[in-house]
Amino acid sequence: MGTASDLDRHLVEFAQLLRTFGLRLSASEILDAMQGLMLVGFEDKGRVEAVLQATLVKDANQIPWFREAFRAYFAPPEHKQAWEAEAAKRAAERNAKLEQSRQELRFQGRELDIPEEQRAIYAQLPEEEQERLRKFLERSSEGMKLGVPLDQSFQPMVERAVRGSLDYWRRKLDEEGALLPPGSDDGVTSEVEKAMREREIQLLARDLKQIPPEDWPQVIKLIRRLSQRLASQVSRRYRAARRRGGVDMRRTLRQNLRYGGVLVERRYKSRHTSRPRFVLLCDMSASMLKYTEFVLQFVYGLSSVAGGIEIFAFADHVVRLTEKIHKGQSFAQMVEEAMPQAGNQWGGGTNMAISLAELIKEYPHVLSKRSVLLILSDAQTLDGEQAASLLERVRRQVREILWLNTVPAKRWREVPTIEMFKPYCQMYECYTLGHLTNILKERL
Amino acid sequence: MSRMTLEEFEHALEETGYITERQDKIAVTTFLAVQLEKPLLVTGPPGVGKTEIAKILSQVFGAPLIRLQCYEGLDETRALYEWNYQRQLLKIQMQRESLQEEDLFASSYLLGRPLLQALQNEKRSVILIDEIDKTDSEFEAFLFEFLGEFQVTIPEMGTVTAKERPIVILTSNGERELSDGLKRRCVFLHVEAPSVDKEVRIIRVKVPELPERLAYQVARAVGVLREKLALHKMPSIAETLDWAKALLVMGKTDLDPAWVDATLTLLLKSQEDVEIFYRELGAERLLWELKSPQGEGQRHGHGK
Repeated sequence: MGTASDLDRHLVEFAQLLRTFGLRLSASEILDAMQGLMLVGFEDKGRVEAVLQATLVKDANQIPWFREAFRAYFAPPEHKQAWEAEAAKRAAERNAKLEQSRQELRFQGRELDIPEEQRAIYAQLPEEEQERLRKFLERSSEGMKLGVPLDQSFQPMVERAVRGSLDYWRRKLDEEGALLPPGSDDGVTSEVEKAMREREIQLLARDLKQIPPEDWPQVIKLIRRLSQRLASQVSRRYRAARRRGGVDMRRTLRQNLRYGGVLVERRYKSRHTSRPRFVLLCDMSASMLKYTEFVLQFVYGLSSVAGGIEIFAFADHVVRLTEKIHKGQSFAQMVEEAMPQAGNQWGGGTNMAISLAELIKEYPHVLSKRSVLLILSDAQTLDGEQAASLLERVRRQVREILWLNTVPAKRWREVPTIEMFKPYCQMYECYTLGHLTNILKERL
Repeated sequence: MSRMTLEEFEHALEETGYITERQDKIAVTTFLAVQLEKPLLVTGPPGVGKTEIAKILSQVFGAPLIRLQCYEGLDETRALYEWNYQRQLLKIQMQRESLQEEDLFASSYLLGRPLLQALQNEKRSVILIDEIDKTDSEFEAFLFEFLGEFQVTIPEMGTVTAKERPIVILTSNGERELSDGLKRRCVFLHVEAPSVDKEVRIIRVKVPELPERLAYQVARAVGVLREKLALHKMPSIAETLDWAKALLVMGKTDLDPAWVDATLTLLLKSQEDVEIFYRELGAERLLWELKSPQGEGQRHGHGK
């Protein structure tokens, strides 16, 4: 950083880099940073970092991103060149694979109409699976129907089949945590992303299911910290719409003293809305177990401060877990004890309809106008229509239903039951700790 | 006020007995806020010395400290200004015939609350807006004009601009997300619990009679509690100092389990936290941890 114009350029570039990681920066912050640097000088790297952090970062959660970005952006040129080269190599490999997929995914010599995202999935498939798809295309290209060779009008059908297969693989790779993110082509950006993946903050953005066991203690610590922070929020007054209560005489008189005591303006008591009671209904099917475990950890942290959270789990049947959680029972213990009650399907399939019906019948007291029902589920259930109609019924009994859905929002259209449930609840995607914290922060 | 260099400022901090270290960035960030004449927003867990920063700045700059403790429901009539209605009524009664409206909305009828007082001060003052996260977001919006331009607009009277721009410190425990508008107007500082080294230095300054070896043991033990246990409330620096003083008062030359058991409540203030301590650590283990090789980021150069 030599001349002033160099400084401008570096600062603007650095701010741009921070923006790619979600920091919201306006010109005024960049100006502050500039003035700060003029005051403190550029000789001492530690001080430069402190100035930039003080002026460009506005939230403690952003500090790790800032640190990594600072380290990478102000790294020696040879490091940056190496990262650039690495990123360029990765990009070239990716492009080559995409190009290869264009060559391979053909029907009677014509390229198939498949989106880039799915081509990237194809490129990540194991060799034998790619081979299988290629064989399928070859056979279809030479196929016959009623003794007549297939012509190109069959291409859309073939495309659908290939897209369906690739979609299956996307889900499968995603579940196994083997799906590689596209990554940035920019060396510095990809270096920061890589470093952040190895840090705690990334845990907030990682699919809960994919967090390896060795990171668990760290995650649980993080969860406790988050939930304690939220707990103080829950215990604050919950303010719904500002509807008016009765006339507040004291404030009215005080307000009208300025008019010589003539009652010109009225002041109303703000209607005190009682704090809501939260009812959590967790899905215990096999695909949901990991999420439920994390969310229960989270709720455990909340309930130690803000009591009165009712917790139920369901698979085939509904089971009340409130007391077990309060007793500090471990998740494994709880699952083991509750298993026989919830039927053999525990950790297997889900029947939301039966579970909701049981909740209404056996625990009517928890569903009141004071209750906010939180449902944690991927909405993959048997008997969807029946479940939707029961959900509608529950909706009429409670203040609000918040559905924390572990299926990413962009895939919701592929799950028919989600469409059925959506009219009766506020549905949020919730498969990372970051999602969970944001939802609760916004809603509690 | 004359401009200070960063070195002079760091020196002045040291003279007041406020311990900072390079990694915590407290000195540079505070210096920046003062020199850029921007409010300083300090976040961090309770008990890490956020409020102390305002007190120290007041000492360093010889400026009076005006403190506004925030709470849920705090509004502008208690933070900025209110009209003195009783006095206005009296005036109306006395001069019913010849009274002009402007007469009633003069500065003599204005009750200045802390923030307005700070603006009207002839001398520069330090304003501490403590625990801003406890107020409602509406109040936060009221502060924008004050924080951005150091002025307050009173509809009946006009704009009151700061005679001397005050030094403003806002603190937050992070109970509520603050608005972007507020954050944009401030220089940001996040303070974490001190490192063992820093805490040893703090103990040495505040409880100078305590031998260095004991100061180190105390700081290390508190560090272990903060690091290893998921406590509801982490021991604060003030509590560490209380513990250190207790050690001194009792004439102890070493930490022993019985003493830790007896004085634990100086550090852990809730029954739940005490239970967590005994369930997950216990006095014996705590002292054993002190002997084990130090954890990452806790390197220490002081003698044993």
